[in-house]
Amino acid sequence: MSTEREPTKKERRDAARAARIEAEQADAAAALRRRRLRTLLAVLGAAAVLVVVAIIVSGSSDSNSAKSRPGVAQKSAGAIPGQKESAEMLAGIPQSGIHLGSPSAPVRLVEFADLQCPFCREYTLQTLPQLVQDYVRSGKVRMEFRDLAFLGKDSVTAGRQAAAAAEQNKLWNFVDVFYFNQGEENSGYVTPSFLHSIDKAAGVDSATADAFAASAASLTPIKQANALGDQLKVSSTPTVFVGKRGGALQQVEAGPTDVSAYKQAIDGVLGQA
Amino acid sequence: MTTDRRLRLVAIVLAAVGLCVAAYLTYIHYEGIKPVCGLGGDCEKVQSSEWSKLAGVPVALLGLAGYAAILASLFVDREEALIVGALFALAGFGFSAYLTYRELFSIDAICPWCVASATIMTLLAIVTTARLLLAPAAGRRGAVPYVG
Repeated sequence: MSTEREPTKKERRDAARAARIEAEQADAAAALRRRRLRTLLAVLGAAAVLVVVAIIVSGSSDSNSAKSRPGVAQKSAGAIPGQKESAEMLAGIPQSGIHLGSPSAPVRLVEFADLQCPFCREYTLQTLPQLVQDYVRSGKVRMEFRDLAFLGKDSVTAGRQAAAAAEQNKLWNFVDVFYFNQGEENSGYVTPSFLHSIDKAAGVDSATADAFAASAASLTPIKQANALGDQLKVSSTPTVFVGKRGGALQQVEAGPTDVSAYKQAIDGVLGQA
Repeated sequence: MTTDRRLRLVAIVLAAVGLCVAAYLTYIHYEGIKPVCGLGGDCEKVQSSEWSKLAGVPVALLGLAGYAAILASLFVDREEALIVGALFALAGFGFSAYLTYRELFSIDAICPWCVASATIMTLLAIVTTARLLLAPAAGRRGAVPYVG
């Protein structure tokens, strides 16, 4: 026979209350879980919608991430992009090999680049025209284009053809038109027909250029650029240096489209010259 | 320490690290400098590809905003903050997965920084989802659980 005593009335009431509270809490917890699960489903749905919208926008966004010069977004009829703009920018300015501008200019500007480098494209299409207009045309600055051709096979192919354009003193036209038509890096887009269309727009004779580009001599400017780049500790492109003609070079610390920083650097050297 | 507090702490650390990665990628995007890119990656190629921007906004900047929103949500003790945190982390995870797919199959180059961010975002999605499901009701977080 059990010796347990009967629970008192109060104890029974307390136990019932505890059970009721427990049940209520279990219900509340279950309700919270259900609510959270519904919330999670809604959040998942919303996140999926956001991602799908982002993917659609991303797929259709401008593949032309570098902005073209003002007013030159579209191809002009019959010409390849950049032909007209390059010719206008460079008209009447002396070119010799890798140099642009008067040999007696007091300031030297050296640009290290790669024809496939997208930031070089931004520099060339957005910053260069203003520097040419303000400093090269007036005989204050002489520029030189140093092609490191380090980004891959297409860079070397393009670099050799650029060297051939330099032989014809058309390097700057070639480079400018090339950047206007720059393709997807190392996708194999630098084909002979692509190069010939650049040649044509830049005023380069393709037959002569092809012969030079096939020769070992076309690698010389690239080797020289890399040697100079190593000496100046160039680690990325575009890297631009300015200095007095025949004097030491100093690197311009600026983003590719920061025109005012380049102008300030040039003005600084002009002030000393 | 309750499970939720542990999860919250993990999420704070993850979001802070993600914020730093995104800040670095945003900085180099605007400065136009080449990222430090180890492990045979090609960050420049990835960062200059057509998928590096969304409607003109660099994805690095979107990531920065996303991490900042997630981090902020972790300091607010409200039901809505759990939802916002999970929403941003899950959307971030989905978009990171898409970008990683583009890196592998369209750009043909991998940017270790971007992979790091995608990994962090994946972990954040898991942690914030777990919190959304498991956290006690708002206002009770961190309190001693009622044991009857």
